[in-house]
Amino acid sequence: MNCEVCQLKELDADYFEVREVLRCILHTIFFHRALGLVRPKDIDLELFEITYVQCGDAKLEKKVDEKIDQFIDRVEKHPNKKKQICVSFFEVKNKQATWFTHKVEHLYWEQWYINLNVAQHPKPHSGKSHHSKLVVDPGESASGRRATLESSLHEVLFQIIKFVNEKKDHIPPIPNMEGVSFPYEITISSSSDSAFGMDMFKRMLQTGHPTMLS
Amino acid sequence: MDFQYNNNHNEHGRNDQIVSQFLLKTLHIVLESRVPYIRPNGRRGNLSLGSQVRKSDKWFNLALGERPTALDSLNFWHRNLMEPMIIDIILVQEMPGLGQNGSGYGALVETVIERWVVQYEYSRASQSHQSSESYKKTYKKSIILLRSLYTMMRLLPAYRAYRKLSSKGKACGFDIVYKVSSFSAPVTRSEEQVMKPYSFIPVEAQHGRLSVSVKYRESLSDFNLETSASLPPEIITDYVGSPATDPFRAFPDHKVATSFPVREIPPPQRPHSWSSGGPFMYNQSPPAHHSSSGRYDLSSSPTSYDVYGQRTQNYRPPTHHSFDDSPPFSPSPPTYLSSGGNYMQSRLRSETAPVSIPNPLITTPRYLSPNLSDPNRHSLPPMSPRSTRYEVSSHESPSVIRSLKKSEMSRIGDLSSASGSGSANHYSPSHKISRDNKDDSGRFSGLLSSSGSPRIGFSRSSSRLSLQDELDDIDFSCPFIVDDVDTCDSPVSQSGIGVKQGKKSQDAAVGALVRMLRTAPPLRQDSSCCSDHVESQSNTSGLFMSRKTSDALEELKAYTGIKHLILSKSKDTKQQHLYSL
Repeated sequence: MNCEVCQLKELDADYFEVREVLRCILHTIFFHRALGLVRPKDIDLELFEITYVQCGDAKLEKKVDEKIDQFIDRVEKHPNKKKQICVSFFEVKNKQATWFTHKVEHLYWEQWYINLNVAQHPKPHSGKSHHSKLVVDPGESASGRRATLESSLHEVLFQIIKFVNEKKDHIPPIPNMEGVSFPYEITISSSSDSAFGMDMFKRMLQTGHPTMLS
Repeated sequence: MDFQYNNNHNEHGRNDQIVSQFLLKTLHIVLESRVPYIRPNGRRGNLSLGSQVRKSDKWFNLALGERPTALDSLNFWHRNLMEPMIIDIILVQEMPGLGQNGSGYGALVETVIERWVVQYEYSRASQSHQSSESYKKTYKKSIILLRSLYTMMRLLPAYRAYRKLSSKGKACGFDIVYKVSSFSAPVTRSEEQVMKPYSFIPVEAQHGRLSVSVKYRESLSDFNLETSASLPPEIITDYVGSPATDPFRAFPDHKVATSFPVREIPPPQRPHSWSSGGPFMYNQSPPAHHSSSGRYDLSSSPTSYDVYGQRTQNYRPPTHHSFDDSPPFSPSPPTYLSSGGNYMQSRLRSETAPVSIPNPLITTPRYLSPNLSDPNRHSLPPMSPRSTRYEVSSHESPSVIRSLKKSEMSRIGDLSSASGSGSANHYSPSHKISRDNKDDSGRFSGLLSSSGSPRIGFSRSSSRLSLQDELDDIDFSCPFIVDDVDTCDSPVSQSGIGVKQGKKSQDAAVGALVRMLRTAPPLRQDSSCCSDHVESQSNTSGLFMSRKTSDALEELKAYTGIKHLILSKSKDTKQQHLYSL
């Protein structure tokens, strides 16, 4: 089984927009990957004229909110850095116990990378302005930035739809259950993290032979 | 051989079942996110997790709720899976000025804003190396395709129009209808150019592939859906209360009580939205207007909507079949309520604002009729022209008018028999009337003001007008209460008579005055007449005795004699003094 990777378009968001943007993207991904019986739930964004769909799983909703809180904390602690959230879907394989490892192996078959640039937020310890990685054009108004972000968010959602339609063969069989059907994990990383690249490398090793077919 | 044949047969059957259910599910997804009336219970909501999912709804692991009844009639897709299913989403708008036959209605313009094509592309060549699990793969991939279709439905521009229609109903000025067919109606080249295509990746099936594609309008800004969503309040020029209206026509309850609330709402309204506005205004109105409360009760019923609908003849809802099945909708947005409330507040303000209506008791004499010069006349209202009576208040209800008239009648009776002397007493009864009227209706706050033209003053309310009527009647029926001193030279006696006669009834006063006129001394003095007059009065003095010229001459002679006598006596006295010296 090969691991399909989807790098979503990079988004520039303000501090207060991060939560809505991440909720929208994460839930859209999960709606396409929670292939058990779902009762779709339409959610209207408050800051943007976009309606996204949740799969209606309360547990998943809670998990997503926790991760978003962690992300926001990370943004506060390490501002002005590119942030990334990775949603990974894997299969659990019981690795044969050896001398060194007793872990259960995760075979990742799909990974989504959400890339965010968070604009400087108004907190006093947020960092110095000259270190800011603001991508905001000084001449651009707030409403213009909001419209740009909305358009970009639209594009990201279209990107997700396109990806899920193009890549279907790598998906493992759907278990007979409701809601989220595949195990997943959500990880947060920053571009400056030393382990950022290492995590990527590790995952690439764990997915096994790239030419394996399902 | 038989086993394999059975397997293939099963496979084929399952495949067909998946294809037919796929078509139905696609139709369900498209219609439930485009046509508000398609839901059986009118709900645009999300299913709760605890609700039981019907077996038919579990297909493709996507529970959408109860399937619309319209879809049941489309189950012919089961029979012919090869034909494409074309779903047109049509925007219906009324364009004013394009109506025919002078009907007053605009023409309904239909525009295809989305065209969905769902097809099972049958291909014999695709059935090579089919495994027994092919239908499972088809099913799994169909699940994913339908998920992405569901998401896409909410990202396309037509979804905003659907949401607007769902929330505002007919008030948004357009409608969305659908058309399902097996062939695509030709579209114009211009329409083709503005439509953007999008195709989902087809799902491989046993004998072909399932494909879903759409052509949609990228922008709906040409249809002005945003502007039609908020209709400004309509200003009615022939509102009751205009000077041109006939004041003496009977006020039907609905016109008085509900005309202004009706005018304030946007013309196309649903009964529910109307019922939410009616009671609100009902509670806001002052107590004087609650007499016609029956009409407010009617406002919450669907029948009243037809009545109000008559007022909005310039809008006719489209008569598409899907529209006719529309259920009642939720109440209108608070903007309506706030606009109605503001109107109520402004109306209350206009009612209670002090109006420069003069106290009829203190109007200046120039408004009086020319032949009345007695200052006591000020106690009565002036002889205002008839035209002032035509200025009828729109705020008064008939029952209030009736109650006021009753109170006024009782007080007017008191006015004629009021005690007191002079002009002061005449002020007080009228004063009392105006004050009591204020207490009754709370509307005559300006009645006691001392300035302003009575013409304006008496035009403010119909109840005040009725008071004017009564007071005018007093003018004609009791003109003799006050003294008409023009014809008599004896003001003292006349005033005394007037005082006495003030205590009597009207008829007695008339009789007394007639008697007085009969017995009044003529201008040319006649001693017999005067003496009779004097004697009859019995309190005349000798000063009023008439005298003749001859008597005067005799008196003059007597005085002359006395003068000579005095003069002669004074001469003698002087001579005696001189001689004594």
